[in-house]
Amino acid sequence: MAVKPPHTTMLGVTAIEGLRLAPTEGTRVQLDDAALVGAIQKSDPGSREALYHRYKRRVFGLALRIVGASDAEEVAQEAFIRIFRGLPKFRGDAALSTWIYRLAVNAALSHRTRRAAARLPMEEAQAEAGGEPQMTEAPRGDAVLRSRLERALTKLPAGYRTVIVLHDVEGLEHEEIASILGCHVGTSKSQLHKARGKLREILADDGITAGTLQNG
Amino acid sequence: MADPAGHCTAYSIEKLSAFVDGDLSAGDAQAVRAHGVGCPRCAAVLSDLSALVSAARGLDRPEPPPTLWAAVEGSMERHDRPWWMALRLFGTGALAGAAAVSVVALGLASWRAHRAAAPAPAAVAIAAVATDPLLAEAEAEFARAAAAYEGSIEKLRGLLAREEPRWSAEERALYAERLVQLDEAIARSRDLARRSPGDSTGNEQLFAAYQQKITFLAAAVHRGGTWGEDGRPPRNEGSP
Repeated sequence: MAVKPPHTTMLGVTAIEGLRLAPTEGTRVQLDDAALVGAIQKSDPGSREALYHRYKRRVFGLALRIVGASDAEEVAQEAFIRIFRGLPKFRGDAALSTWIYRLAVNAALSHRTRRAAARLPMEEAQAEAGGEPQMTEAPRGDAVLRSRLERALTKLPAGYRTVIVLHDVEGLEHEEIASILGCHVGTSKSQLHKARGKLREILADDGITAGTLQNG
Repeated sequence: MADPAGHCTAYSIEKLSAFVDGDLSAGDAQAVRAHGVGCPRCAAVLSDLSALVSAARGLDRPEPPPTLWAAVEGSMERHDRPWWMALRLFGTGALAGAAAVSVVALGLASWRAHRAAAPAPAAVAIAAVATDPLLAEAEAEFARAAAAYEGSIEKLRGLLAREEPRWSAEERALYAERLVQLDEAIARSRDLARRSPGDSTGNEQLFAAYQQKITFLAAAVHRGGTWGEDGRPPRNEGSP
């Protein structure tokens, strides 16, 4: 696919005069989510890019942890395309962040489903066994531990992994997770607790215990 | 209470995890707390779960690659573009490509006339491309133009692929036949260009063949994916 060279312009005051601005560090200004959505719906220059920068780490991190490093960029791209296509109809019934997480999770899970359908059983087994590295940085010190935790996450079934990433990594509440996944709050809690139990087993098999986690 | 493996079965790991999150009722939480004091196995599980949650919360949100925004922006620009503008841009792009190719070809022809009256043998031409910066740059430009043509063709084929199921069997056969002819012309020209690098003739033919195919496909798209009033493919447009 042909892409334009990346550029790094940030949404500036001149592009969004008249909108509510929230003070941030340095010379940059930041719209609250509602104003940013309004700016996008009015096609204000730079507004899409501002939203992208605000949510890029959350969307990409979620994609990375659900589908793995090799497909994360593709899934994040798909998620942002769904977000920007859906924003003209966004009415704020849910928080913007919850809505964005929902689209990102849907993009990641549907990608996994497509991939699983196209894969041979052996390839699927290898992928489930954690064949895909999660982070591109070379781990050092406590980064080694984080890397092992990331690897353990990849060994969880996708449903468990999604819930534990949303709750424990991203810090979402069960009400938000239930809204994102279209399930009951009780189901979200039950899945989370089972996921933690499974993750603890995986870490124990890798020789990682509470002491290791606490001390690095 | 212990199972055969020696694990305490008083509380499931789900219950202990709920305790860590503060999700148990006051009474249940008090009971778990009291149990943990005298049960080293459950105390270890609670410790593991607390450490695990804390470690998970400490995981970073990674920075995406810098190419991601460019890819999103490019997709959205294509999505925002009205369909008729996409068609015009296809045409404009093809014309611009053809113009660029013509300029490069003219430059090449002039360069060749200046350097030698007779065409160089293929081996000499290949050596010239390898050593002459102008020729190497021209070949790189040809390659970029070819990629642009192929990209346009692929997009037009994609648009028509959605319409194809509505066509009759005869229309589909005629369409396929015409594409085969156009593809053969492209393949012949590409082969000629590959055998004689630095010779503008092969590339001129190749881009003319690409242009024919784009014209044929664009005419079909302009008609909404349907054929002319006679129910035939656009015979005079893009025929090889």
